[in-house]
Amino acid sequence: METVSEMPNSKIISAGGPKANKLKSTKFGGKLVSEYWESVFRAKEAGKKVVWYNGTYIPPFFHAHDLVWVHGEAWAAMLAARHREIGAQARGEQYGYDRELCSYARTHIGQMLIELDRVRSGDHGMDPDDPRLETMLKLPAPDMIVNAYPYCSSGQQWDDITYRNFGKKVPMFTIQIPLLWGGRPDAGYMQGEEWEQRSKYVAEQLLELTRFLAEHTGRKYDYDRLGETMTYVKKAAELRLEAMDMCQVHPSPASFFDWIVSIAPVNFLPGDQNLVTYFEGVKAEIAERVKAGQGAVPNEKYRLFFDGMMNWNKVGWLAEKFAAVDACVVAGRYTHMSFWQEPQLIDLGDPILGMAQNYLICPNNHGAPIMIGEIEKLCDKFDIDGVVCHASRTCRGMTNSQFLIADSAKKYGRQSMFFEGDVADESFYKDELLNIRLEAMIESMDAKRRAA
Amino acid sequence: MQQIPDQMRQAADAPLDYAAAWKARTGRPVIGLLPMNFPGELAHAAGCLPTLLQEDDEPITIGQSNMFNFYCGYNRSIVDQTMRGRFDGLDAIMFGDHCVQLLGTADIIRAEKPDLPILFNQLCTVLDAGWAMRETRGTFSQIWKELEALTGEAIDPAAAAQSIRLFNRNRAQIRALYDLRRRGEVSISGRDMQAVVKSSMVMDKDEHVSLMDLLLRDMPRQAPGSGDLPIYLSGHMCHAPKPEIIDLIEECGIRIVNDDLFTGWRFVHADMDESLAPVEAMASWYIEKNRSLPCPTRAIKGKDWQDYLLVELENSGALGLVVLMVKFCEPHMYFYPEIKAAFDEKAIPHLLIETEHEQMPLEALKTRVETFAEIVRRRATALAA
Repeated sequence: METVSEMPNSKIISAGGPKANKLKSTKFGGKLVSEYWESVFRAKEAGKKVVWYNGTYIPPFFHAHDLVWVHGEAWAAMLAARHREIGAQARGEQYGYDRELCSYARTHIGQMLIELDRVRSGDHGMDPDDPRLETMLKLPAPDMIVNAYPYCSSGQQWDDITYRNFGKKVPMFTIQIPLLWGGRPDAGYMQGEEWEQRSKYVAEQLLELTRFLAEHTGRKYDYDRLGETMTYVKKAAELRLEAMDMCQVHPSPASFFDWIVSIAPVNFLPGDQNLVTYFEGVKAEIAERVKAGQGAVPNEKYRLFFDGMMNWNKVGWLAEKFAAVDACVVAGRYTHMSFWQEPQLIDLGDPILGMAQNYLICPNNHGAPIMIGEIEKLCDKFDIDGVVCHASRTCRGMTNSQFLIADSAKKYGRQSMFFEGDVADESFYKDELLNIRLEAMIESMDAKRRAA
Repeated sequence: MQQIPDQMRQAADAPLDYAAAWKARTGRPVIGLLPMNFPGELAHAAGCLPTLLQEDDEPITIGQSNMFNFYCGYNRSIVDQTMRGRFDGLDAIMFGDHCVQLLGTADIIRAEKPDLPILFNQLCTVLDAGWAMRETRGTFSQIWKELEALTGEAIDPAAAAQSIRLFNRNRAQIRALYDLRRRGEVSISGRDMQAVVKSSMVMDKDEHVSLMDLLLRDMPRQAPGSGDLPIYLSGHMCHAPKPEIIDLIEECGIRIVNDDLFTGWRFVHADMDESLAPVEAMASWYIEKNRSLPCPTRAIKGKDWQDYLLVELENSGALGLVVLMVKFCEPHMYFYPEIKAAFDEKAIPHLLIETEHEQMPLEALKTRVETFAEIVRRRATALAA
C-alpha cells in the first residue's frame, strides 16, 4: 500500500514551529478545487462530454461550450500534492517510461494505464483501504483531447501518447504555440513583427479549436458565452495582479507559496463569479495585512524570487523552509509571469486574439533576453535580495536559462542559489542540499548587509 | 578504396576544421545548422557552407557551468563547444526545430556569443494540421529573407533550385550505398557508413558528391565480411552514436543491414521535389519526410514508428532490433515503450542501449550485446527448424 511520503530525518533549518503565515482566504480555493474535481468525476453521470488537455490555460474555451475538462498537469500536480503519485509513477515505469521523463507526464500516463488496466480486467484488484482508490477510479475517459503547449516540446508528445493509449479513437486537436525567439531587430516584450505574426497564428488556431469542439459535440459554438466567461477571468486576473502589486511593501503580506496555491483557480477552474470572489477575498486579506503591517513571514529579513516550476510534493514544506530563516519568497517566474498576466490585451467583445497573446507570453515562451528582462523588472519591483532556482530534474522547459537567470541576479547584486527537486517526482528532491545552500545564501546576504 | 571513407572521416571527425579551411579557401560564410530538419540547401544557395553542428569527443567541462547534467549529451556538447570557442569561425547558426533542450542550448549560445547571429524560426510540428504547409512555407520564406539580410546578397531562386538538385543527388548516392549494403553486395562497416553520412552533413556538397561517385564506382562488390547476424539499428534521432558502440555491436557477430538513425537513413531518405518552386519544395519535403519515416517529435496521426520499424525489419531481412537511445532524449523516452510492446507482441528480439556522451562501460555492454546476439541466433534457429 502506498504511504504518504514524509522525510522524518530531515529538519527544517532553525526549527521552532511553523512560521509561514499563510493567507487564510486561499482556503476558499481549496473548496473550489475540490468542487471542480467532483464535477469532473460526475461528468459522465451529468451527460457531459469530457476534454483532456495539456498546456496553457485554455479552459474558457471548454467552459463556454459546456464541457468538462481535465488538465493533465493539474491532475498530476494534485496527485503529487496529496502524495498519491507514487503508484502512478510506478505503473509508468513498469510500462517502460524512464524516470528522466517529465514526471507530470509519467504520473498522468501512469494513472491512465492503471485506469485502463482496471477497465480491461473489470476489476481494480486493490484493497478497499488503499488510499489510491480515492483518486484512481474516478477520472472520466476523454471524449476529446486538446494539446496547447507553449515552449515545451515534451507536452505535445505526452498527449500523443494519451491519444495512442486510447486506441487512437478519441478526436485530438493540437495547437502550436511557437516560441517568441526575439531575434528580429524590432523584437521586444509584446512588440515587433514576430509578436504580431505569432499572435495572429495562435488566434487562428484557437478559432479552429472552437470549430473542432462544435464538430465533436454537434453543437454550435457560443462565442458570446466565451466573452462572458472571459469577463470573469479578466476581472479575476486584474484582481490577482493588483493583489500581487500590494506585495511590494515590507514585509510582504503574501508569499510566492500563497500565489502557488492560487494557481489552480486562475489556471483551470471555471470562469465564473467564484473566480472573482476568490481573488477579491485574497486581495482584501492582503489589504488588511498591509494596513496591519503583517507579513507572510512574520520577521521578514530577506526577500527572494523563486525561479522554476513548483515542487508539488513540497509546497508547505518549502514555505516553512524559507520562513524558518526569515526569508519571504515574494515572487516567482511561474506565478508572476503567467496565468493571464496581461489581461488588458483581452477585448471582451472579441477575446480570442488577446487570449492567444496571453498564451504566447507564458513564463518560458520568450527567448532568454526578453524573459530575463521581465524577471529583472520583477526583482526590482519587489525589492528582491536573492534568486532561488529550483532545478526541477524532469522539467527542462523551466530549467533552460536558469544559469543565465542566476548570472543576471549576480549582475544586479543579488544572491542566487540552486536546489534540486522535481515537479512531481519526490525522489529527486535533496533536502540537505537545500538546507546547506540556503544557509550559505542567508550568510552571504548578511555579510553583504554588514559590509554595506 | 578505403581512402575515400578515410577522407570522409577526416571531415566528419573535425568538421569545424574542415569549415575553417573551406572558409579560408572560398572567403564565403559558414552557417552552422542545428538538427533535425533544417534544409542545408538554402544556406548552400546563399553561397554558404552549411555544416550540421556535431557532438564532439571532448568531455563536458566548462559547459557544465551553463547546462545541467540532466540534458542530453548532444546539447551539453554543443554548449561546451560554444564555451570553448569552437564555433567562433561560424558566421551564423540556423535552426527551426522544436526540442525544448535545443531551445535552451540556442539561448546559451546567444548569451555566450552575442555577435553570432542565430536565425531561428520554429517549424510547425503538427504536420496534419490544415495550416501546416502554409506555416512551413512561411518559415522557410522568413529564413530565406533573413539569410539574404545576413549575407547582403539576394538568393536567386534558380540557385536554390540548383542546390536542391545537388542535395538530392547526394542523398540518392547515399541511398544507393544503403541499398547495396541491404542487398549484401558490399562490405561496409557501420563506422564507415556513419562517416559517409556525417561527412555529407558537413562537407562542401560538390566535393562530397564527387567522393560518393568514386566510392560507388570503386567499392568492391563482395559479400559482407563482418558478422552473420543481420540486425536493424534504430534511434539516435538527432546526432551520431559513438563509433565505438557501432564497432562493439559488429564485433559481436552482428551485421547492420539497415537503420533509421539521423546520421543514417533518416538524413537521406527523402528528396525535395525538383519540379516545385524552391520554398514549396522545401516545405513539402519537410512535411512529407516525417510522414514516410515517422519521427516522434512531430504530431501526426497515421503511421507509427513501431509499425515502420516492423516493416523495415522484414524488408531488410533483419532478425532483431537494436535501439540506441540517447540518455535524456524525451521524445525517444516517450515512444520507446510502444516499440518495445510491438516487438514483444511479435516476439522479435530487441535490445535497448542507452548511450551517453561520457565514456560508457563497453565491456559490460559487450556482454549484453553478445547475449542479445545469442538470443537472436537461437530464436532464428528454432524458427527455421
